[in-house]
Amino acid sequence: MADISTTPDAAVAPDAPSAWEPRIVAFLCNWCSYAGADLAGVSRLQYPTNVRVIRVPCSGRVNPLYIVKALQLGVDGVLVSGCHPGDCHYISGNLVARRKFAVLKSFLHYLGIEEGRVHFSWVSASEGNRFADLIQKVSDDIRRLGPARQLRKEAK
Amino acid sequence: MPQASLRKEHFGKFVAAVSKGRKFFGPLECSDGVQLAELSPQDVPAFEYGNFTLPPKRFFLPRSEVIAVHGPGGMAATPPSQERVVLFGVRPCDAMSLTYMDKVFIDETYVDPYYRSRRENTLIITLACRQPAVTCFCASVKGCPAGTAGADIAASDLGDALLLESITDAGHAFLAEHAGLMGKPSTAQLKARDSQHADAGKKMSPVDVEKLPARLQAAFESKTWDDISQRCLGCGVCTFLCPTCHCFGLHDEQVGPVQRRVRAQDACAFPTFTLEASGHNPRTRQGARMRQRVMHKFCYAAENFGELFCVGCGRCIRSCPANLDIRQTLAEVPE
Amino acid sequence: MHEVEIKMREAARTLLESGKVDLVLGFEQGSLPLRMRPCFARNAGATVGLVWNDFCANNLAAYLPGLFQKPADVRGSWTAPTVAVVAKRCDARSVIELIKENQIPRQNVVLIGMPCQGMVDPRKAQEAAGANVTACKMAPDKQVELTTAEGGVAMSPREAILADACLECATPAPQGADVEIPGPSRPSAANPYGRLSEFESLTARERWDAFVGEISKCIRCYACRQACPNCYCKTCFIEQSKPTWAGVGDELSDVLLFHIGRIFHQAGRCVGCDACVRACPKNIDLRLFTRKIVKDVQELFGYVPGMSLDEQPPLCTFKEDDNESFITHP
Repeated sequence: MADISTTPDAAVAPDAPSAWEPRIVAFLCNWCSYAGADLAGVSRLQYPTNVRVIRVPCSGRVNPLYIVKALQLGVDGVLVSGCHPGDCHYISGNLVARRKFAVLKSFLHYLGIEEGRVHFSWVSASEGNRFADLIQKVSDDIRRLGPARQLRKEAK
Repeated sequence: MPQASLRKEHFGKFVAAVSKGRKFFGPLECSDGVQLAELSPQDVPAFEYGNFTLPPKRFFLPRSEVIAVHGPGGMAATPPSQERVVLFGVRPCDAMSLTYMDKVFIDETYVDPYYRSRRENTLIITLACRQPAVTCFCASVKGCPAGTAGADIAASDLGDALLLESITDAGHAFLAEHAGLMGKPSTAQLKARDSQHADAGKKMSPVDVEKLPARLQAAFESKTWDDISQRCLGCGVCTFLCPTCHCFGLHDEQVGPVQRRVRAQDACAFPTFTLEASGHNPRTRQGARMRQRVMHKFCYAAENFGELFCVGCGRCIRSCPANLDIRQTLAEVPE
Repeated sequence: MHEVEIKMREAARTLLESGKVDLVLGFEQGSLPLRMRPCFARNAGATVGLVWNDFCANNLAAYLPGLFQKPADVRGSWTAPTVAVVAKRCDARSVIELIKENQIPRQNVVLIGMPCQGMVDPRKAQEAAGANVTACKMAPDKQVELTTAEGGVAMSPREAILADACLECATPAPQGADVEIPGPSRPSAANPYGRLSEFESLTARERWDAFVGEISKCIRCYACRQACPNCYCKTCFIEQSKPTWAGVGDELSDVLLFHIGRIFHQAGRCVGCDACVRACPKNIDLRLFTRKIVKDVQELFGYVPGMSLDEQPPLCTFKEDDNESFITHP
C-alpha cells in the first residue's frame, strides 16, 4: 500500500469552508466491487463524485486500522465493499472480513464515533446499479453528518 | 530572606491577582489524583497530596512539541513560548530536578531555546512535604522535604496559612508585587515551620548512593543486569514519570498539507530507542536497556555534570507495573 | 489462604527438583504495601520466597512469549526453557490464547492453577481508608483491616476493595491446569459486563466525550500494552515506520488511534484480567472499553477467550450465517 500519510492529495487537503464536499474513501475488492464500480462507469450511471477508490485484492485485505487511519487523515467517511458472501475469489476472505468489520463497527459506535461514518457493503461485478445506489446512499449519509472532526489530526 | 504569610482563605484572591499576568498552575483534585492543573480563583486547591503523578518537566520539556513547520518559504522554526507561568505546589524534589535539567538544556556550549524560554518565564513556588510517601528518598540524594533548590519561592503549609519565603530575585519581586494580600509571619508560625521540616526529614529510610558511579562502572558487564531486569516489562513508565529523564527524538511528519518536525520524549526501555536505520540494534536485551537507564542517572550524569540525576521522588517505584524498585536495584549492583 | 500458599510452594519445589521445569514464574513479596511482584524461581531453594495472597495481581503470562524467544545475541543452538506459571484462571486463559496463537509452545508450559478469591486493588484500599495504607489484613465477616501510615485502622468490606476485574470475573476457579492447587474460589460473577449497559445508554456525544476524557490522560508510556499478555506483537503497529501509522507524540488524535487500535486487536484475546488497567500510571479507565470488545465477541461469535485449546480464534474463522445486520444496503 502506498504511504498515504505522506502523499498529499485532494483527499487530505483542508476544507474549503464555503463549498464543503464530503470526501469518502472506498476500499473495493478487485474481483467484485471494483468491477461493479467499473460497470457503473461503463454503463454511464450517475452517482456522486465524492468517492476516492482504493483497489484491494479482497475485502479481507482491509486492515481495520486503515479505516481508523483514513478518518485520522481527514476523510469524512469510509466505505469497504467486497464480494457477496459465498462469492469470494479467495473462498472466505469476505467472511473473515465480515467478523472483523462487525466488531469494528460496533466498537466505533460504542466509542461515540458518529453513526454513518463507516460503511460496509457487498457489491458484485454485475451490480453496477447497486454500486451507484450505494455511493448515493453513503454520500448522502455522510453529507448529512458534515465534516468529520473526531479523529482528524490537524496541524495547529 | 523575605518572608510572608498568606491566609488560605485569601488563596482565591491570590490566584486572581497572579492570573492577571501569568497562568497559575496549582494542585487540583482530578480523576487521576491531585495534579498540577491550571487554577481559576474559584477552584479549591488540594493542599493534601503526596506528589503529582507527572513531574513538572512537562512544563519545560513537553512529552511532544512541534519545533518547526515547513511552509512555502522553507523550514521555519516554531518560536519559543513566551507564556508567563507560575507553578505553585511543586515538591522540593521536583524543583531540584529542574536544576539538573538546566545542566543539560542550558549548558555552556548548548542552549535549548524552547527549554530556556519556558524556564525563564516560569516562577516556581515549592510546597514543603509534611508527610513523605513510602517511596520517597530525597534525603539520600542531596534533597530534603523542605529543600529550596530550584525554587523561586519556598512555601510551607501551616494549616490555615501558607508561609512563603522568597529565594531568588524573581521570587523577591513576586512577593513584593503581591505583598498586599499577605502579612508578616508570626514567631509561632516560624516555629511551627521549623518543627514541621525537622519531622518530615526523619520519616524516610536511607538509600546508599555512596561510590555509586564507580560501582556501576565496574559492574557494566555484570550478569546482575539480566537478573534484575527479568521482571521489567519494557514500558516507559519510569522514564516518562522521572523528573530528570530527558532523552528525546526528532521526527518529521505530515499532517494534511503541512510538514512539521516534532520533538518527542523517548524512553531507553523501548527497543526502538536504539534501533538503527540498518535494522541493527545494539541493545538487544532488556537488561542492557535497563542498565543504560541506571548508568545514565547514577554514573554518566555524575561524570558529565557532577550530580546523580535522581531526586528521590519515588515515582518510578510507585508506578512500576512490575514493582521494580530503584532502591533495591542500586543495592543489587555488585560491590 | 496460607494452606494454598504452602501447597503452591510445594508444587513449585517438586517441579524444579524433579527437573520437569527450568523456571517457576510466581510471586514474591514486593517492596511496597499491598504489593506482591513477579518472581523468577530457577531452583528449588528459591521457592521459599514464593507467596500467595490477596495482592498477587500481575498477569504473569505477559512474560511468557519473551522467555521462548531465542535472544538476539545468542549464536548457535539454543534450547527453549520449560516454565511453570503460578496462574489465576484469568492468567491461565491468557496462556491458552498465547498457545493457540503459537506464541508459546504447549509442551514447555506447566500451568499451576490457583484457586482465586479475587485480588485487592490497592487504589481502592487507599480510598476506603482515606489515607496511605501500609497493611491490609483479613478480618472476620468478610472484612479487611487497613492500617494507615498515620497509625490509624480502618475496616472495610473485602468486596469493596477488590479489583473490578475480580468483581466481574466469570471464571475464578481453576480449570484444566496441569497442577491444580485445591482451595476455595469466589463464585462466578452474575454480570461480567457490569458498567457497559449504563455507558451504552448514553448518547453518542456523551460516550465520545467520556472516551476522549479518559484517553486524553494518556502519556503513551505503553505500560498497558507491555503489561498485557496478549499484546505480543514484536513490533506494535504504533511503532511501525514503513509506513508510519501515527505521530510519535501525545497529540490526542494519535493517542486515540493507538488505543482504538490496541483495544481492537484484543478482540478474541482479552480475558479481562485488567493488567492494562493496573499498569496505567494515569488511572485511565481502560476497562470500560476493553469490556466492550469482549462482550461483542461473545455475543456475535459465542467466543470467550482462553476457555479451550481447540476453539479457533474468532477473527481467524467464520460461520456462513454470521451476523451481518451492520451491512449497508442501498
